[in-house]
Amino acid sequence: MDLELSPADREFRDGLREVFLGKIPEDVRRRSTLGRTTREDIVTSQRVLNQHGLAVPHWPREWGGRGWTPTQSHLYSAELQRAGIPQPLAFNVSMVGPIIAEFGSAEQKRKFLPATANLDIWWSQGFSEPEAGSDLAGLRTTARRDGDHYVLNGQKTWTTLGQYGDWMFVLARTDPDAPRKQQGLSFLLLDLNTPGVERRPIRLIDGSAEVNEFFFDDVRLPVENLVGEENKGWSYAKFLLGNERNGIAQIGASQRIYADLAAAATRRPTEDGPLAGDPQFRAALHRVKTTLLALEATQLRVTAASENGKASPVSSLLKLEGTQALQELSLLRMRAAGSDGMLLDTEAPLPSGEAAAVSAAQYLNLRKLSIFGGSNEIQRGVIAKTILGL
Amino acid sequence: MNLEFTDDQRLLFETVDQAVGRGYPAGGRAAATGSELGWSDQVWQTLGELGLTGLTVSADHDGAGAGPVEVYTSLAAMGKHAAAEPLLDGVYLPSWLIAELGTAEQAGQLLPQLAAGSTTIAVAHAEPGRPWGLAPATTAAADGSLTGVKSPVRNADQADRFLVTAVDETGRTGVYLVEATAGGITRADGRAADWGHTSQVEFAGTPAARLGDGAADAALRMAFSRARVAITAEAIGLMEAGLAMTVEYLKTRKQFGVPLATFQALVHRAVDVYSRVELARSMALWATAVIEAHDNGGAVDLPGTADDAFVFVADVATAVAEEIVQLHGGIGMTYESDVAHHAARLIAITESFGGVSSARRRAIASEALLVAPSALLGNATSAAP
Ligand SMILES: Cc1cc2nc3c(=O)[nH]c(=O)nc-3n(C[C@H](O)[C@H](O)[C@H](O)COP(=O)(O)OP(=O)(O)OC[C@H]3O[C@@H](n4cnc5c(N)ncnc54)[C@H](O)[C@@H]3O)c2cc1C
Repeated sequence: MDLELSPADREFRDGLREVFLGKIPEDVRRRSTLGRTTREDIVTSQRVLNQHGLAVPHWPREWGGRGWTPTQSHLYSAELQRAGIPQPLAFNVSMVGPIIAEFGSAEQKRKFLPATANLDIWWSQGFSEPEAGSDLAGLRTTARRDGDHYVLNGQKTWTTLGQYGDWMFVLARTDPDAPRKQQGLSFLLLDLNTPGVERRPIRLIDGSAEVNEFFFDDVRLPVENLVGEENKGWSYAKFLLGNERNGIAQIGASQRIYADLAAAATRRPTEDGPLAGDPQFRAALHRVKTTLLALEATQLRVTAASENGKASPVSSLLKLEGTQALQELSLLRMRAAGSDGMLLDTEAPLPSGEAAAVSAAQYLNLRKLSIFGGSNEIQRGVIAKTILGL
Repeated sequence: MNLEFTDDQRLLFETVDQAVGRGYPAGGRAAATGSELGWSDQVWQTLGELGLTGLTVSADHDGAGAGPVEVYTSLAAMGKHAAAEPLLDGVYLPSWLIAELGTAEQAGQLLPQLAAGSTTIAVAHAEPGRPWGLAPATTAAADGSLTGVKSPVRNADQADRFLVTAVDETGRTGVYLVEATAGGITRADGRAADWGHTSQVEFAGTPAARLGDGAADAALRMAFSRARVAITAEAIGLMEAGLAMTVEYLKTRKQFGVPLATFQALVHRAVDVYSRVELARSMALWATAVIEAHDNGGAVDLPGTADDAFVFVADVATAVAEEIVQLHGGIGMTYESDVAHHAARLIAITESFGGVSSARRRAIASEALLVAPSALLGNATSAAP
């Protein structure tokens, strides 16, 4: 056993830190750690990363991938999150990019991959529907073939950052008569400026409007925007959702929030001195601390296992436990901020600092972690079936 | 960077697993702890033949001089069968104290015997009603004789000798070697919550020999820290087996005409047991790797690591013990069921070597609490903005 990074890996990590801290503007990182990232921040940081070959390291090499070892990939996401950099847009880099690279036509690869890596195209994920959430295969949006086009009708919802979307990858029903509901679905690429597309924002529990719903009324998209084979969309979607789950544990982000929280607690007064001296607070902090250590050690074990070429089934566990830890930290941060933290939005300067002032909003917002990306109950189902055989 | 076993270490696990498994069929722990000895003599012989009793003893003293990973693998395999042989409390822990504190003569006499498995030594530190972390109330007179009460002392009824902590006339804590047959010893035997043998031992002017002549505080802290990490491995083995029994039970036990595994509420609880155990395993392996780094000269906080790992694993062990009994229903409440013994042993582990409350107290008082944690050595100072 060995917990020491090899000199080569340490050098690799230091190189990452140089770019993350030296090349990404500080105000971009600051807004990101406060949960106030703007569209421009995401575009800026992804383009800087792309310039340094760090936006899409896990893609195939010819499209910008780096062929890293699992350890290097682990260091990459951990350091990125720790540095408080907006994540490269997941819809682009973890979802549609790898799908196009794997299953797309040569023409689609040329047209979309470089633009997707550089965030010249902002992608949105059009999977969920009002009647198809956890049971995604029950979706009803149809794509009827009409000559050189598919005609799209239906509704998509919960589309994250869809307000900025240029294109959407849509899962739609191309064969309504297929015997099983998982069959007869296709994976389509839709230009969101096509006539017949309507988008509406949905306001969330924290007052933000990061998700949207989309309505399709006889939207015509060319058949060349079909990815892979018609009616094989479900298998591509599953491939994609597997990618989505990786990194959703966000251990690096938790480590950063932990550091911020501990620092804030040394400044925050209570009746009996700084909060950092309060035994109850310290006990709660210790519970999170040990969980984060256990999670990182688990992540390292998973990394090591995949280094031997075996995929580990433990990634569902990382999603489950990692999101719970992050949610618990957000609760602790809100409690630590007290009434200052109850402000969803304020112009008033607060002695407890900006992070305290957004802690309730962040707490509320992060409830989403256990719902999306395959809800935590769905992950339990996966573990029960694939690992425990129940 | 790697938290996996080598092939040799994996082989060690399998060997111990098979050997102990043969001696522990269903009902094994109940039979072993119910015997005069308190464990299985046949399994003890086998452990000796396999060299496990010599694992922590250096080659100079006829041992294997193995590291913390071998300790982990052997104890995880013992835990899997809820085996009661006193490898940790009767051999490993005393061997660490003797190697650290003892004179060359003491080490030369005692370590080869421990390594051969021909003797066990009970470490007597806890005192009734007294916090673990305080200096003992037991005193050592100028002539070395001891007076005081120690309890609980595990497997004291079979030990040939005791290592007793006591404070001398100058206020220094020392560790004293006492022959079990020495005068002035009164023993009251009983059972622990896990049915392991345990005693209250009273010393009244009992002749004793001090281990070495330096202060013992640092050596005690290190040895107990090692023991806390070692016992997390046993807990992992127990939890892994407890989970497997529970999963099997859910598949086979029928109620309302269907297997229990049909009920999602139960399945999800089993999954939570699995995921907590998996995290606990990572924590135990991580702490083991930190000890290994320490033994290789790394600048690591061994006691702090041991407290963090012990607290985490003990909390998980408590939850798992409760869940595996609950999911077995009434049968899990019976002395006859193995799952009950696994659960009881897990609970006993949470109170070992000072227990989870005192470990948590130290951990939350530590300055290290306010530093963002990282399992990677030297990575804690982060790139945070
Ligand atoms: C903030 C946010 C952003 C999102 N972004 C996107 C996006 O960009 N694109 C996109 O396509 N989708 C997106 N989603 C949708 C997300 O994937 C779904 O919300 C999710 O799949 C759950 O579906 P649902 O909301 O319909 O809940 P339901 O499926 O109705 O579930 C309700 C509750 O029942 C539980 N449940 C459901 N089925 C089972 C079962 N079999 N066993 C046990 N419990 C069960 C769930 O866990 C949940 O707790 C987003 C969601 C949120 C909240």
